[in-house]
Amino acid sequence: MTAVIQAALNGAMMGAMYGLTALGLTLIFGVMKVVNFAHGSLLMVGMFSAYWLIRLTGIHPYLALVIVPPVLFVFGYYLQNVVIKPVFKAEGQVREPLTVIIVTTGVWYVLDNLALMLFGAEYRTVRTAISNKSFALGEFIISIPKFSGFVVAIATAIGLALFMRKTKTGKALRATSLDREAANLMGIDQYRIYNIAFGLGTAIAGIAGCVLIPFYYVYPSVGVVFDIRAFIIVVLGGLGSIPGALLGGLVIGLIESVFSQFMASTWTEAIIYAIFLIILFVKPSGFFGHKQDW
Amino acid sequence: MKNGSITTILAGCMGMALSAALFAAPALAADKTVKIGNVEPLSGPSASVGVQGKQAREMAIEEINAAGGIKSLGGAKLELVYADSKSDPTVGVTETERLINTEKVNLLTGCWNSAVTYPATQVAERYGIPFVVPVAVRDTITERGFKNVFRIAAKDSWWVRDQFRFLKDMQDETGVKLQRIAFVFENGDWGTGFAEKWRELAKKDGYEIVLDEPYPSTATDLTPVVTKLKAAKPDVVMLVSNAADAILLTNTMAEMQVKPKVVLASGGGHADPKFLENTDTNALGIFDEVEWNTDVNKPAAKPANEKFKKKYGYDLTGESVDAYVAMYVIADALERAASTDPAKIREALAATNLTTGPGMIVSYDGVQFDETGQNKNAGIVIVQVANVDGKPERVTVWPKTARRAGYVPAFPANK
Repeated sequence: MTAVIQAALNGAMMGAMYGLTALGLTLIFGVMKVVNFAHGSLLMVGMFSAYWLIRLTGIHPYLALVIVPPVLFVFGYYLQNVVIKPVFKAEGQVREPLTVIIVTTGVWYVLDNLALMLFGAEYRTVRTAISNKSFALGEFIISIPKFSGFVVAIATAIGLALFMRKTKTGKALRATSLDREAANLMGIDQYRIYNIAFGLGTAIAGIAGCVLIPFYYVYPSVGVVFDIRAFIIVVLGGLGSIPGALLGGLVIGLIESVFSQFMASTWTEAIIYAIFLIILFVKPSGFFGHKQDW
Repeated sequence: MKNGSITTILAGCMGMALSAALFAAPALAADKTVKIGNVEPLSGPSASVGVQGKQAREMAIEEINAAGGIKSLGGAKLELVYADSKSDPTVGVTETERLINTEKVNLLTGCWNSAVTYPATQVAERYGIPFVVPVAVRDTITERGFKNVFRIAAKDSWWVRDQFRFLKDMQDETGVKLQRIAFVFENGDWGTGFAEKWRELAKKDGYEIVLDEPYPSTATDLTPVVTKLKAAKPDVVMLVSNAADAILLTNTMAEMQVKPKVVLASGGGHADPKFLENTDTNALGIFDEVEWNTDVNKPAAKPANEKFKKKYGYDLTGESVDAYVAMYVIADALERAASTDPAKIREALAATNLTTGPGMIVSYDGVQFDETGQNKNAGIVIVQVANVDGKPERVTVWPKTARRAGYVPAFPANK
């Protein structure tokens, strides 16, 4: 029983972080109606940014959390503005959104291979102030980097939800998500909103990078491992839904951790997909899948 | 002449070959060289190990020739002839044929890749040319009843055999009793293959298997596996891991405070140079299995490694050590054969019992072939990650005769 509770605690912490990696994906989809295949690469960029920042300056990973996301926001903002926007603008000549999906796939390959050229294929970890630290909760051991990741993931989800409801930009994002033509007619600059959405999605990948780096290693194709998971989470939670991403993440994390106490851990992968299929069958829109979810 | 009669049969289609073969033997004696053909992967995916083997052979041959060559053959010099297998079995076979028929080599060595060695040795057996395999680990290479195939390195299944020998020897040496054993391994061919042999040997040695856990190497989180491991309370944890998961497992075990008495890995990810860099002090105490380590406590090992490093700029590796030893085994056999006739060389190789001399830089005590042609003394080295001058380093602990001088293994690594 102890092992099961320990596994559940760990599963919840990992799950929240899986949710965090999916949050940016769901946000970009919600607003732009585009599946961003480059999301895993953006996570990789976030992890490498956090890695080099901590490695070179030796700062505390919590401090990196303040520096990396804004930088990634700017990166995402201009990535969308320069690379993806022209495809959107050429509406007449291209098959949207398929062409945009192909463009994001191109971004994925370029970023991954660029990282491979610059940093090589090896696994890198960095010793931070919180790496390998843990505290005891009764007879259970709670890893500090994972616990911090859990708190940051929940805070990010709440913060994003509040931003979408309370601020003018947030409302503009939601309006564009609901009906981009109507939003355009109301004076919202659609492309600027896309830039912001993409920037925010990238910034969240930066946050995820900062919380993962104290306990996980980074390498150029690290995004792929998280990406597949993020796609399942997003569909599970409902495409475009913020609470859905978090809940989807928690479900996957708990299944992975708790089920493996009763069977070989290779089986949990199969169980995740089985549950995924069942949910798709029963509720194709996912837990929170609505047209307007914010 | 046995070789002659086989050649005669083949001569039906290759008349040239026969006359050349008959002509070759006296010509060689006059030139006083013995030609050793080497089939190695000198380009392609395994080129780096091929080159390591080539350089080690050259260093050994230089030493042997400088020391007067083969005295019983009037000071005959050894000469190396190379063929590039490109790690391709088909290329390996045609190159072996070429070395035998065109280059007229007296004996052969190679090929590192098991997939190449397997058919190439078959060619040599057909022609009756002795084939010394420094390393190619597939068990079956020496299990086909061949007369002319001699392998120096340990075979695949001995890696597992030696893990259990190590556990037994260390328990005898320290008086520590280990009972509960856990298997944690990547779920590919390699891991599941090891686990299969572990189960068998663990049962035979009377261990209680408390966990038998495969995991996917691509896992994002191995905490569930470590949680299970913690609950199973094993004395010994046996691991097969690739690079990324070895790092993740080691760090997660430290984090979850899982401290079994002994953690024994199987090379691969744990032997990756990046492993220690990414785990640092978390790896202290872990035992790992390798072919050879630079610190093995054999008199000839240190000078050989220093010389090699000076010459080529890097330490001797498992492959290069085996290649180096192979040249000394060949020289020893030629000395006793006092002939370049393949059949006589074969007889001398079969009677090999090499325990001393500059070639003996391996961790085990000698080279002696059993009736299948396998070096029955061959074995694996077990190292322990220990704190040496403030830095985690791999220190040889087993076999005891090869242990680094003055090192006392931390066994159990955790109380």
